[in-house]
Order: sequence, then structure tokens, then C-alpha cells
Amino acid sequence: MKRVFAIAQLTWKAAFRFRLFWVLTVLLLGCVVVLPLLIKHDGTARGFTQILLTYTLMTITALLGFSTLWLSCGTLARDIEDCQMQVVAVKPIARWQIWLGKWLGITLLNLALLMIAAGSVYALLQWRARHLPLEQQRVLRNEIFVARASIKERPPDIERFIEQEFQDRLKRTPVPAEEQPQVRNAIREQVMARLQVVPPGFQRVWSLDLGVHKNFLRDEPLYARTKLFAARTNISGTYQGTWYLGDPRNPASRILPASLAADTFHEFQVPPNIFDEQGRVLIVFQNDSDTALLFPLDEGMELLYRDGGFGLNFVRGLMMILFWLALLSALGLASASFLSFPVAAFFSFTLLVIVLSSGSISMAVQDGYVFASGPDTSAASRFLDSALMKFFKGILDVIGLVQTFSPVDALSTGRSITWIQLARAFGQVVVLMGGLIALAGIFLFSRRELATAQGTQ
Amino acid sequence: MSRKPYKFILVIAAVVLLAGAGQFERLLNQQRTSKELGLSRVADLGSNAPPVLAFTTVALGGFRGIIANVLWIRANELQNDGKYFEMVQLADWITKLQPTFTQVWVVQAWNMAYNISVKFSDPADRWRWVQRGIELLRDHGLRYNPTASLMYRELGWFFQHKMGQNLDDAHKFYKASWAKEMTALFGGPRPNFAEFRQPSTPEAEQRAHLLREKYKMDPAIMEEVDKLYGPLEWRLPEAHAIYWASVGLKNCKDNDLITIRRVIYQSMLISVIRGRILYFDTDGTPVTAPNLDRVALANETYFRLSAQDTEQASAIKIAHRSFLREMVYHFYTHSREAEAEKYFKMLKELYPEFVPGNPTMEQFALERFTQNIENLSGDRIMVVLSGLLSQHFISLALDEDKRAAGFLRMAEQVYKYNDERIRLRREPLRIPSFDKIKETWLEQMLNPDNGLLPMEMILRLRTRLNLPADERLQPGGTSGSAAARAEVKP
Repeated sequence: MKRVFAIAQLTWKAAFRFRLFWVLTVLLLGCVVVLPLLIKHDGTARGFTQILLTYTLMTITALLGFSTLWLSCGTLARDIEDCQMQVVAVKPIARWQIWLGKWLGITLLNLALLMIAAGSVYALLQWRARHLPLEQQRVLRNEIFVARASIKERPPDIERFIEQEFQDRLKRTPVPAEEQPQVRNAIREQVMARLQVVPPGFQRVWSLDLGVHKNFLRDEPLYARTKLFAARTNISGTYQGTWYLGDPRNPASRILPASLAADTFHEFQVPPNIFDEQGRVLIVFQNDSDTALLFPLDEGMELLYRDGGFGLNFVRGLMMILFWLALLSALGLASASFLSFPVAAFFSFTLLVIVLSSGSISMAVQDGYVFASGPDTSAASRFLDSALMKFFKGILDVIGLVQTFSPVDALSTGRSITWIQLARAFGQVVVLMGGLIALAGIFLFSRRELATAQGTQ
Repeated sequence: MSRKPYKFILVIAAVVLLAGAGQFERLLNQQRTSKELGLSRVADLGSNAPPVLAFTTVALGGFRGIIANVLWIRANELQNDGKYFEMVQLADWITKLQPTFTQVWVVQAWNMAYNISVKFSDPADRWRWVQRGIELLRDHGLRYNPTASLMYRELGWFFQHKMGQNLDDAHKFYKASWAKEMTALFGGPRPNFAEFRQPSTPEAEQRAHLLREKYKMDPAIMEEVDKLYGPLEWRLPEAHAIYWASVGLKNCKDNDLITIRRVIYQSMLISVIRGRILYFDTDGTPVTAPNLDRVALANETYFRLSAQDTEQASAIKIAHRSFLREMVYHFYTHSREAEAEKYFKMLKELYPEFVPGNPTMEQFALERFTQNIENLSGDRIMVVLSGLLSQHFISLALDEDKRAAGFLRMAEQVYKYNDERIRLRREPLRIPSFDKIKETWLEQMLNPDNGLLPMEMILRLRTRLNLPADERLQPGGTSGSAAARAEVKP
């Protein structure tokens, strides 16, 4: 390990020698200072804090991401091209130790820079918050500067319902075997409609179980997050209803009139202490509009509650960003292990662009084609499409391992990043993806003939 | 070759190439803006464009479109996820990337004022987004597109429709907030144009500064508009719709001015239907009533606008026809038969095909009344109620008690019918209680300044209702100038 740390130290020294550390520090602090002066927001303290948090963290991630790729490609490729690596490689140190040392050095450098930049973001947010009126401070404390976890209603066993209905139907009227899948689908639609649709004048009841969390949520406000769809659009774009929050026997229960837009999330405060002895929260929606409303099973109702403080959540979020940076440094080093500096940089940035374009790739996968769209397309196009779809799906699966985590999004909306999520991120991003890339990089670097004439010389 | 001549040749070559590139650049710029090629549009941003805009439009070149697309996609994704805090920033970037593309401004402003605002339950949140939409057009869009009629139309529409109509559940909050802002801006119920032009006190100067810098309004144009279409009730959104449409008519020369003219005549009609603020509700909402005295002015506006727009005159005439049909029965229900007759005659003369069967004015008005009663909007219900109550009070003054009771019953039935009709949106469409409407309208009728009743009738009505004497009606009282228009036949 001593040798690995020695290489890491050399990488640090190089970063200081080339003034990279200072330049990046100035850039990162500059963005923290300048961004609040430039960004436009919705006019609320909450909105400003959310956009500030999002844009500063995104800028920091982008700056560190690009510098990491550049540095990791440069530090190895340039050492090889300048023949400095030959001097190091003849020392009693293994190639894998050199590679790992460089990776560790860059990762620790990122950690230091991230701490400086994120620390100043945190200080800025807290400083600004302290200068706000008390009411706005309360909003920030409850909605942004918090780690909120969520619970949803336990999903009903739909398949059991469907099977039961299907068997009843078969008993009443025999259905030929070839028609049974359609009948089953029709029953599924009916069951789903029964569970999700609230006709005019009817109510939908949710019972959400806080479980043991109730013990920590005395006098703490809760937040309901809901989404609905309307069977028919109306001229005002909103639908009238009434929320009945809590058991009516509970003195904390409330009745709230609601005017809700369809196809979007609504978040509203639920009074504290609304749960019963078992920690169950009863929420009822009465549809007062003249059209049927649909609350989807997965997103229809979610109860948010305080799970922890902002500080620790912020640190967990930063750790996730650091994992991404560690992966990028592994990628840069792996490319530099077999390519010259310009080619390695180009190769790494191209991979990054592909990852960032995963939205377009996933759209193509959803459409199911790139070239062929009609019945008159050629067999070659269809073949090409089929091959591309398989390739794209593979890429998406790999990218998905990294992109499923969104710490910036979670932090700006006050959502909790749990230790389990952090551990999963470490496993998927650093150990699995980073590990595979590192193995490939170390293998290539170990096999590389350092003394041959370099292409750039 | 020795080093010196070599370097000299290089310098000469660089200068020649630079000069050549300059020549080519001019040629290329001409080609890219030519209609034949139409490769890209060079935005003329004027001399006061901020550096960031100059950068985005010149330095980014053709990449602007790609960046704008990426920003559009992000905005859509965030909107689908219900995250709106970035929308103002994204809209700013998107519009800055295409500053002279009018549709981009309009779509972004519309999205904020109409789509995003309704996603919030709290009226204050909704109002914030409506304001953001207005600001985007008024403060930024018009700066780069001062001659784009679509921008003025849209801005006017936000005032006329989003704030003025009752389709949004928070419309009362918008009206209350706007009236509060305007009252503070004017330092009273009406703007003092002379003082806005030449403020005499520091406070007036501050308000004049606010008018120009925040609300981007010119007091000279305001006064002009007020003279032409008013006096307008500037605390209501319709006055501002008329203002911005008038500024548009002044600045724009394109072929789409009918859209701006439409804002003017529609807002004039609304100012007849609810052009008078009766009082402010406890939540600050202005409770309005019809102002039939403005009908003549609105009528003139239709004539003037159709004379100005020879190409689209027929569209304005169709609107004028509907206006006349409506005014006949409004005047009739308000017991102003002479004016009802006048506009009925005008309707028959100008649009005879829409008065089939040669009915009398009374027959026509009653038929319109029964046809429309089922679908009356909130504002129009107030016109009908105030009309029926006028008839009730006039009948009382004339000692025709049975007739008075009949009108009162009719008004109560209309109120009940409306109350049942709005049951699904009771809160947003709620009008004051029947007793409150009755009481307020009586106050309006008894106020000699309003000129709704002749002096003699006011005295008789006060006596009939056992009301104490009004000092304004005494000899040497403060009023007496109002000319009563109601025709009362004892």
C-alpha cells in the first residue's frame, strides 16, 4: 500500500506543480460565488435554494468530471510519452500499483476539491437561509434542508384478484382456451380501474403505515405527494375535490378543499400527529368534479416524512458524486493505458457523451427502430435495427448501473439518500463498473511495452 | 531560406489571407441571410443587447438550435416530474438563444402563465407564475421584438383572459392582487397622468419610476388610451389589456393586427359588463357591476376599429352584431328602454338578417333574456341581477308593489339558479350573497353621482324604504350634477 500511496502523492504533487489544483479551486469557488448572481428563479426562497443547489452541484460535478477525465488521461499517457514512466517502472513497484496509485491520487484530489466546493455551497446556503424571514426559514427547514423519506400504500395483490375473478368467470361462463388471455386482460383492466379510478362524487381511501417511524415524528409535519389523471379535460384545467386528512376522531384531522391539475405532482402539508396508535395515516380524497379521476397505483399517493437532517444527507449526496468521479478517473486511466494522450482524451469524452445521450438512446429503444419505420423497409434496415436495438439495450443496461442515482435531484427536493442507496451506489459505480474498467486498464497497462517509440514523439 | 525573409513572407501571407477571409465573410453573411439560401437568420438585437445575448447569438452560431433543443427537452422533463423551480431560468436561456423568434417567447410565457400556474393549489403560487409569464413578454420579449403584434396580443390576452376571466380557480386572487398593486402604484383609485409625467414629490417620483421601470408603462400613452377608451378602471385587468393592445397598434405594422384589435373590443365589452368596482371583498377581490354608460364608447370602438381594418372588417362586424344583441336586453333589464330602442334600431339597420320576423324591442329583449339565462357567466349574471333589482327598486319608488315583488322574486330565482349551476366550482365562481348584492346595488342607485336614477326618484325611493335623508340631495349638497338616464314612467 505504501507504494500505491507514494504514486498517489506524486500525482498530487504534479497537480500542484501544474497549478491544476489552484485553477480548479478558483473555478469551483468562482461558480459558487457567481452562479447566485446570474440565475433566475421563480421568486420564492424555496425556488431559489433549489435552483442554487441544483446548478452549483451540477456545475461542480461537470467541472470536476471534465478535469478528472483530462487529468487521468494526461497523467498516465504523458508520463509514458515523456518516458518518465520508464523511470518509475524500473523501480520495485508493480504496474498495478502505479495504476492504482494514480487512480487513488486523482480520487483524493477530487475529494479535496469536492469538499472545498461543496463546503462553500453548504455555507452559502446556510448563510442565505439565516437572512430570510422566519416563515421562509421554516419552509426551507421542512422541505429542502431536510432528508425526507417516503412511504406508499402497500400494493394490493392484483394477480390474486385477477385470478379469483377469472376463475369466477370460468365457473359462470366457459371460455375457450384461446380466448382466455384476452379475458384475463379485460379482467386486469377492470381490476385496475376499480383500484385507481374515482368517479364523480366518490371517494378514494389510502391507509399509509408509518410503522416504527411514528415514534420519531411527533409534532413533525408530513407531506403528501399525489398525482392524478382526468378522464376528460375541462376548461379550467383543474379538478375540484376535498382531502380528508386523518381519522375524523383524531383532533388533528383536517379537511382541505383542493383544486388539482391533472398529470402533475402536487405536494401539500399534512398536519402533524395525524397518525393513529399503530402509525397509520388515513387520507381520503373525495372527487367533487364532474369527471372521473385516476390516481395511479404507483404514483397516486406518497407520504413524505422527516428521516434525518440535511447535513448528513448532503454528505451522502457528495459521496455519490465522488463515486462518479472515481469511475471517470478509472475510465481516463484505462484509456491512457493503451492510447496516446489526445486519443485517450477523445475516446473518454466520446464515452461520456454516449452516457449523457442515454435519453436519445432510450427513446430509440422505446420506438424499436432507428432506420426502419414502415412495412416497406428493406431487410437490411430491419436487420441493422435489430442488431442496434440489442446493442442499445446493452448500453442502457450498463449506463443504468451508474445513472440510477441522482443525488443532486434528491438534495434539491429534500429527499433522503439512504445509507443503503449509498452502499449500492458504491457497489455498482465503484466496485462493479469502476472495478471492471480498472481491471481492463491494469491489464492493458501491464502488457504495454513502455520503451517502444511513442506515436506522439 | 534564411529566417528573416521566411518570417516576412509568412506575415505577408497572414495579412493577405486575413483580408481575403474578411472579403469572403461579407459575401457569406450576405448569402446566409438571403432569401434564396435562407440558411440562418441573423438576429438584429439592436444596440442595447446584453453581452450574454450577443455571445449566444453570434458566438454559438448554428449550435444555438441544438442547445435550445436540449434546454427544451430538460424543461419538458422537469415539468413532467412536477419540478418547476428551474423553469424561469430555462425559459430565459431558451428565449435568449432565439431572441427574435416570437413564438418561442409566446410559448414560454404561456407555459408559465397557463400550464405551470394551474399545477399549484395555492393561489399565491399560481399568481407568481402568471406574473412570470407576463414579465417574460413585457420586460424581455418586447425589448427584442417591439414590433411583433403576436407579443402584444399575448400580453393583452394574459390580462384579458387569464386574469380577467373566471376560468382559473384562482382568478379572484389575481384580480385582488392586481388591484392592490395598482392602487399602491396610483396612490389612489385612479392614475394621475399629469403627476406621472411630471412628479412633484419624491413619493410621486418613486411611483412614476415604478410605473416606467417595473410595469413598463408610459403615462403619456396611458392618458391617450384613457381619453380614447375611458375613463378606464385601471385597477381592473381589462384596462391593461386595452393599454398593451393600443401600444401594439402603435408599434406594429404587420398584417396580423386584427388579433390586437380583438383584444381591444373584447376588453371594451368586458368593461361594460363589469366596468364598475362596487367594493372590495374581505379578501381584496373587487366586486364589480355593469357600467352601461360605457356602451356608447364601446360601440364607437367597434366602428373605429372596423374602419381601420378594411381587410378584417367583417370579423369585427360579427363581434359588433353580438355586442348589439346583448346590449339591447341589458338596457331593457335595467329599465333603460330608450337606449335599448336605440341599439335595437341600430341592430336592425346594420344587421337586418339577425332580427327576423320584425319583433318589437321588448319581444326581442325578452327572447334574448330567456335564451341566455341558462348559460350566463359570472359577470353577466351580475348584469342581469342588477337589472332586475333596478326594476324592483324603480317599481317600489313608483308604488307598484306587486310589480316590485315580481322582479325581486325573479332576481332571487336567477340567483338560486346560478348558485345551483356553479355547484361544482362554487368557490371560484361565488358571487356575493343575494342580500349583499341587493344592498350594494341599492346604494349605487341612491348615489346621485352614478346617475342611475333621476333625483326625484331617489327621494321617493328613500322615502319608500324609510331611509334617512341624504345630505348630497339637499340644496347646496355635494352632488346634483349627475344626469339621470333612467326613463321612469309613473
